[in-house]
Amino acid sequence: MSLLNSSHEPKLVTADGTLIPDGWRLLADDETVGVDEPNVLGFDRALAELDGLNGKYGVRVNPADDVRKLLPFIDKIALIEVAFPGYRDGRGYSTARILREEGFTGPIRAVGDVLRDQLLYMIRVGFDEFLVKDADPQGAIAHAKSLFDYAYQSAADDLKPVWQLRQEATGA
Amino acid sequence: MYVYDQFDHAVVAARNAEFKDQVARRLAGELSEDQFKPLRLMNGLYLQLHAYMLRIAVPYGVLSSAQMRTFAHIARTYDRDFGHFTTRQNIQFNWIKLADTPQILEDLAKVEMHAIQTSGNCIRNTTTDQFAGAAKDEIDDPRPWAELIRQWSTFHPEFTFLPRKFKIAITGATRDRAAIRVHDIGLQLTANGFDVYVGGGMGRTPHLGHLIKSGVPGEKLLSYLEAALRVYNRYGRRDNIYKARIKILVSALGPQEYARQVEEEWASLDQAKIDAPYAEIARIKSFFPEPDYTAKAFDAAALDRAKAADPGFARWVRNNTLAHRRDDHVSVTISLKPTGLPPGDASSEQMDVMADLADDYGYAELRVSHEQNVILPHVAKADLYDLYQRLDKTGLSSANVGKITDMIACPGLDYCSLANARSIPLAQDISKRFEDAGYTDKIGDLQIKISGCINACGHHHVGHIGILGVDKQGEEFYQILLGGRADEQAALGAITGKGMPAEAVPAAIERVVNLYLELRTDESERFIDTVGRLGREAFAGALHEPA
Repeated sequence: MSLLNSSHEPKLVTADGTLIPDGWRLLADDETVGVDEPNVLGFDRALAELDGLNGKYGVRVNPADDVRKLLPFIDKIALIEVAFPGYRDGRGYSTARILREEGFTGPIRAVGDVLRDQLLYMIRVGFDEFLVKDADPQGAIAHAKSLFDYAYQSAADDLKPVWQLRQEATGA
Repeated sequence: MYVYDQFDHAVVAARNAEFKDQVARRLAGELSEDQFKPLRLMNGLYLQLHAYMLRIAVPYGVLSSAQMRTFAHIARTYDRDFGHFTTRQNIQFNWIKLADTPQILEDLAKVEMHAIQTSGNCIRNTTTDQFAGAAKDEIDDPRPWAELIRQWSTFHPEFTFLPRKFKIAITGATRDRAAIRVHDIGLQLTANGFDVYVGGGMGRTPHLGHLIKSGVPGEKLLSYLEAALRVYNRYGRRDNIYKARIKILVSALGPQEYARQVEEEWASLDQAKIDAPYAEIARIKSFFPEPDYTAKAFDAAALDRAKAADPGFARWVRNNTLAHRRDDHVSVTISLKPTGLPPGDASSEQMDVMADLADDYGYAELRVSHEQNVILPHVAKADLYDLYQRLDKTGLSSANVGKITDMIACPGLDYCSLANARSIPLAQDISKRFEDAGYTDKIGDLQIKISGCINACGHHHVGHIGILGVDKQGEEFYQILLGGRADEQAALGAITGKGMPAEAVPAAIERVVNLYLELRTDESERFIDTVGRLGREAFAGALHEPA
């Protein structure tokens, strides 16, 4: 949305504002899965093959994919990439939140049309890595986290909802 | 009324600071209009045909006299001296300068108001019964629940990029004055919790909401809504904005299957983490006590004498007041539908007067109705004549509430970039046609609703008489619908007869109305009941001039 400049190379930044190298690679469907290599599998391929694979893999989840189908194989998943083909498509927010509700503790990465004005919402629903094309990815994270000190509702992050703060303030 | 605490203030202040920075970047040319658009739309700022329009949330239509005065100040200082009350119980200002918006939002924040989520594909302002807390037929007060939903839905991180906008309405009375069956979610508050209707809506493909769950306990309402919204967020269509509202999903899945999926999602949620505990609900409820009713002696004989001496007052009492749960009070509707003026508009002077009247006679409280009128929910009968006389001095004494000239109309082609046809001038022409008070009262309750395009912002699908503006080879043309209603017997109207140009519409309506007067069994049979009894086809012929 704002300060978007697609000429910037995508950089990987974490929710705590650290730039990290991206070792993972999305495999084309006809590529062989490497043993102990940081390979990201497409969603359908993951469903079809994870059962027979050893090791840990990344999985790419597109907006229409039902992420709950991955749950039987969750032990073999080291990373989930949630794709945002356009920032207006908000299905990925539910995807991330469901993963956290179901107990997935590995990194959830937002890829695609990931813009600085969305970062706060993404952090709140459980994303912890962002592939952004921002001029200043660390500044974008810092800005997003500075926007609100309070949230009205509980989500996947550790912000207490305002109603809980109120209860604590009154000692109820 | 609900009063902000430090947390509520902090949330609004943070959003205003963010938007101020975004506006500054836009004005400095750092952001293009394309980049700015999604940001301004998160703050209720639209770019219309001629200027920016700012839509301000009036939470569930409830406002204080101080808030109304702030609207007057905004109209006077930043707009062309008037504001427009909307069908979603909000207010919008149609002639706003971008550079002024940060200051306007700052002025609003001082009286605990904002423009958050008045646009965009998110959960919009929850609407409710304009007589909440006053009406005789109320089972439970919907306002605390609407406030609970307001807080839960504000910047909800999962539901900020829904397939389309999302509108929730609540009623707590037996008569549905909130039109819950034509909302994405309609909530009927009962003695046993909430009945939940889903998938209602107007627009291009109107649907009535389906009852998918009865008796959701209040303490579980938020988690149930969260489940309902999640199913919609995940499976609502995103390929076509005209098929993206929840009504299309519910209709494609079938209400039972949608309900089953919500149930499954609800069971999977950590409800205890989502649902505010009873202590928080009780805290919110404590802001909605009964007013501190003044024990003014009410002299029924004096009121009768005033009515006999002033027939205008008598008519106003008959049409614009509603029975109150206290015998010595009534609820007063201030009609914003004077003859020949745009429905829902009020000048800064009128807003100031309404604020003063609320202070003097109405416990400092006002409401906005989805019919685009302003309500004083609690007025002592002893004060009625004084109130009426002061309204009359400011052009606010139109005595037409619920009558044929109490129309809903969208802004239409005069303002809106989506419209195909004008709405306001047609409403003005109709109100002139039915100017005669005796004639209007003889017709009785009749709701006309006008939309300037198929997006149906003027609710034409649920007008007793609905009017839809269309574009026919470059000409503005109007289709007439009969038989719609938005109350507890909600029904969708259907196009009846052939379309016609604007100048033919008032006469066509008059012919239909006169036929109704001939056909009704007696005065107690309302227009909508006669249409129901005889069928709309019985009126089709009257729409067109005899050959």
